[in-house]
Amino acid sequence: MATDRGKVELHIPARAEFVGVARLAVSAVASRMDFDYEAVDDIKLAVGEACTNAIQHASPGGAEEIRISCQMEADRLVIEVRDRGAGFDPAGCLKEIDPESLPAHGYGLLLIQALMDEVECKSSPGEGTLVHMVKRLAR
Amino acid sequence: MELQVKVRELGQELAVVEVSGEADLYTTPKLKETVIDLISRGRIRVVVNLASVSYLDSTALGVLVGSYKRVREKGGNLALVGPQARIRKVFEITRLVNVFDIYDTEEQALKSLGAGG
Repeated sequence: MATDRGKVELHIPARAEFVGVARLAVSAVASRMDFDYEAVDDIKLAVGEACTNAIQHASPGGAEEIRISCQMEADRLVIEVRDRGAGFDPAGCLKEIDPESLPAHGYGLLLIQALMDEVECKSSPGEGTLVHMVKRLAR
Repeated sequence: MELQVKVRELGQELAVVEVSGEADLYTTPKLKETVIDLISRGRIRVVVNLASVSYLDSTALGVLVGSYKRVREKGGNLALVGPQARIRKVFEITRLVNVFDIYDTEEQALKSLGAGG
């Protein structure tokens, strides 16, 4: 079903100043796939959050780069953000936040889940993290 | 785009923080430092104007939440002004719309904090 329309890969240093580079590059890819403005904004924020997460969970001397791949298919964009950082327990981040408790952290994965159509997060301590995200083109 | 943060101190406790540009992991520390400095100097009624913010991520949300908690602990409040639709969406997804008072105009926000009578 999924017709391959090509792939864009990007490697960025796992540092805060490069998150903007990743989200701009991926939003440019999305723009070329006829996503509307709102969907491009969703993708941009989701990628920014995935990269931010990778940097925040990097151990000292750990993740040196983040690898982002954008697989363009006929009806969807598949994005993977991968790092080799310290990893974390994604189950702890994917549960719903209680706004009453007003946590200062933990909104990133919540946003990714809300903004993308499919999200899978694989992470384990010491082995890094893979965030797999899909955004489908509106018909 | 970088983040610009401008401060207007309107009274002993009152300040407006005008934020413009992109608020993310790289730029948000500038906002955090500014607001922490204001609060440490007793500015506990704070309006954060987001009208010119084009991008806002979870780290910026964290700074706003932390600032809100600090001013509330000191008996103050923090109000937000004018987020664009894409920014408002971030507050809606995280349900922080139920926490922050969000106004369309700075005048409304200032009035809610007891400024100008």
